[in-house]
Amino acid sequence: MKRAFSLFISLTKNWLRSKTGVFFSILFPIMLLLIFSTVFGGQQAAEYTLHVQNDDLVEGEETQLSSVFIDALGSSESLNVVEVDNLTEHREERAFGSFRALRIEEGFNETAINKSIELRTKVIRDTMERANGDFTLFSIEEKVENITDELDDQNVSKELRKRYEEEGYELSSDENISIIVLQEGDSWNLYDEEKGYDHEIREENGTLNVYWNFEEETSPSAEITLMLNEDDQAAPIIRGNVLGIIDSFNSQMLGLEEDDTVINITEETRDERGLQPVDYYLPGFIAAFIMSNGVIGVTSNISEFKRNGTLKRLTATPLKKRDWILANVGQQTVLAFALTAIMILVAILVFGAQAYPGPYAIGLIFLGAVAFCSVGIVLGGLIKDVEAASGAGNAIAFPMMFLSGAFIHVETFPDYLQTVARILPLYYFHQGLREIMILQNPSDAFLAYLVLGIFALFFIVLAIKTTRWKDI
Amino acid sequence: MSSDIIKVKNLTKKYDGLIAVDSISFKVKEGEIFSLVGPNGAGKTTTVEILECLKKPTSGNAKVLGHDVKKEDDKIKKEIGVMPQDFNTFERLTAKENIKLMGDLYGSDNVKEIMQKVGVDEFKDKKFEDLSGGMKTKVGIGMTLISNADLLFLDEPTTGLDPHARRETWNLIKDLKKMGKTVFLTTHYMEEVEYLSDRAGILIDGSIEVIDSIENLIDEHGGGIKVRVLEDGKALNIINDRADEVLKGEEGTWTGIFDSKKEAREALIKLFQLDSKVEVEEAGMDEVFIRLTGGKIDEGGELV
Repeated sequence: MKRAFSLFISLTKNWLRSKTGVFFSILFPIMLLLIFSTVFGGQQAAEYTLHVQNDDLVEGEETQLSSVFIDALGSSESLNVVEVDNLTEHREERAFGSFRALRIEEGFNETAINKSIELRTKVIRDTMERANGDFTLFSIEEKVENITDELDDQNVSKELRKRYEEEGYELSSDENISIIVLQEGDSWNLYDEEKGYDHEIREENGTLNVYWNFEEETSPSAEITLMLNEDDQAAPIIRGNVLGIIDSFNSQMLGLEEDDTVINITEETRDERGLQPVDYYLPGFIAAFIMSNGVIGVTSNISEFKRNGTLKRLTATPLKKRDWILANVGQQTVLAFALTAIMILVAILVFGAQAYPGPYAIGLIFLGAVAFCSVGIVLGGLIKDVEAASGAGNAIAFPMMFLSGAFIHVETFPDYLQTVARILPLYYFHQGLREIMILQNPSDAFLAYLVLGIFALFFIVLAIKTTRWKDI
Repeated sequence: MSSDIIKVKNLTKKYDGLIAVDSISFKVKEGEIFSLVGPNGAGKTTTVEILECLKKPTSGNAKVLGHDVKKEDDKIKKEIGVMPQDFNTFERLTAKENIKLMGDLYGSDNVKEIMQKVGVDEFKDKKFEDLSGGMKTKVGIGMTLISNADLLFLDEPTTGLDPHARRETWNLIKDLKKMGKTVFLTTHYMEEVEYLSDRAGILIDGSIEVIDSIENLIDEHGGGIKVRVLEDGKALNIINDRADEVLKGEEGTWTGIFDSKKEAREALIKLFQLDSKVEVEEAGMDEVFIRLTGGKIDEGGELV
């Protein structure tokens, strides 16, 4: 074990002092991560995609106002409106990128119209009230006490009916009228369901004054729900755009005053984290470069050690084959952790990535490093020619990088390529890392652990079998 | 009486039908410098690598320090020091780090002492890749020596070195003998064999042509002592009387070739008494090789 450790230290020092090795193992992956995340996932987008689900349908067709509202949203230069049938399904499909969505609730069209009429009526009444100084329907100055005693008993007296008739208002039968005491002894609310009267009767200085009751709105507002991630930096911009469009919709479509609105916006702030494209790329890059460092790097190193005689020098010492394999695996594991730490740091500092490398991620990275380093040891051991070994490493690593979906969503692949991706160990590696580090679902990484574990075990056994310690 | 530290009997190694080592047998005595000499492809490295347990023999037996090379490679590797052909090591580690690594592999920690012994101290912190050929060889010998083994295998340690570095390496190898080490050397430099070795075996096409002490090899196969005289009077008579063969040279010179050192010595005494002008040329390993093989090894190790 001491021999393996000494060799591990020497291999690591030898690697660290290689400018080319450090460049391709650490700096190159970081450069690619920066480029990919900047090009495909910059936060400074001029247009934000807003997914819209319209639930206001009549016989499967969008209602007129809901359709107009969606058009109004689409007219904003900052919003790219994408209509979807089911936001929930859509959110589950796309785990990455902030969830920005809006739902137009059922009844939007009808409630918007009703509310609009009500508000217009209120405007008329307000105008009348302002014109009259107040808006008293009529006043009853005689026999006030008789009337109010009866009002207390929740009855409509003959006297009150008579006075209503004298003023031109006819009350319907008693069962259609409800009277509520608002303030004991001096204020009542009379509501005639049939006639639609909603009056407030107030005793003021010995006189009963009957007013229109404007306090209570009867129509609900048209509802829309805006869904944004709590920590989405674009959330204020999207919210501002939607509110602006509602104001514009109110004034232009419904002709309402500035302060009136028929649309009630309910905001659902998602407590899930807003994941950025870098959060997709980061685990992919970590997995892909741990793989390439193992498959290309180790293969090249071992074949070079074979070519220049260093390996022969080592085989002539008491060093055992298992120590050699252990030292290489150890070196690759340290390199894998160093690469992971640096990439996460860069991704967090530059792009605000959400990565959290917990113990499950460390375990999976270890398995990945062992698995792919073992592949490199097998190739380096089997192939004698340095160029051929390096070529074989490249021929395996590069197609695997791109076909496994490490850099591009597998869902965007044709079906047959998706099948290919799912038979590649790298697919399970980056998917597992993504589940653990980004989505924080370690239980969903079980398959990744299983696949990489079997893969690592198989190749470590194969590495022991194929590494020649004689007749090199 | 020194014991045999290496015993080789009918050792054979074949590669895909090609015979690299053809049933060779020899012994190496404790404390001596033994050289296996021959051109490239003669089977020197294959032989030494079998003894170092880096290759499996096809047939035959070999024992190193009493251990069977086929079965006891773990034991042998712990007890020998090896400097392979075209020696290389971790290029970006310093000289000291490389020697220390070997020390760790052998469980030895006398790095400082070894560096002083082989003269690595002055460039110990330089990376291996930045060292000259001679410096690299010193590091290689240091890495071999730190095993603290009594038997050291040096496979063509001076190949590619300039004359100065080669001479330094020779001195180092001489010092190894003084330290009590047994050195198994392979080389294609006859001068090196003659300067360093107690005994040598000449290997041609996988077979040992001859094996003996350097003195005996020269005596028996060197072609004798050449004595050249520059006049043809009495001096020529002395040569004619005692030499085994007399050759006429250019510008009135004559060369007598003496197989026997005794005859040559007696002839020289007579010539000195006559105050004759003479030139003496002793045979060396070059002549031994030429006489035995009919060819010569060039600087690159090829048989010409």
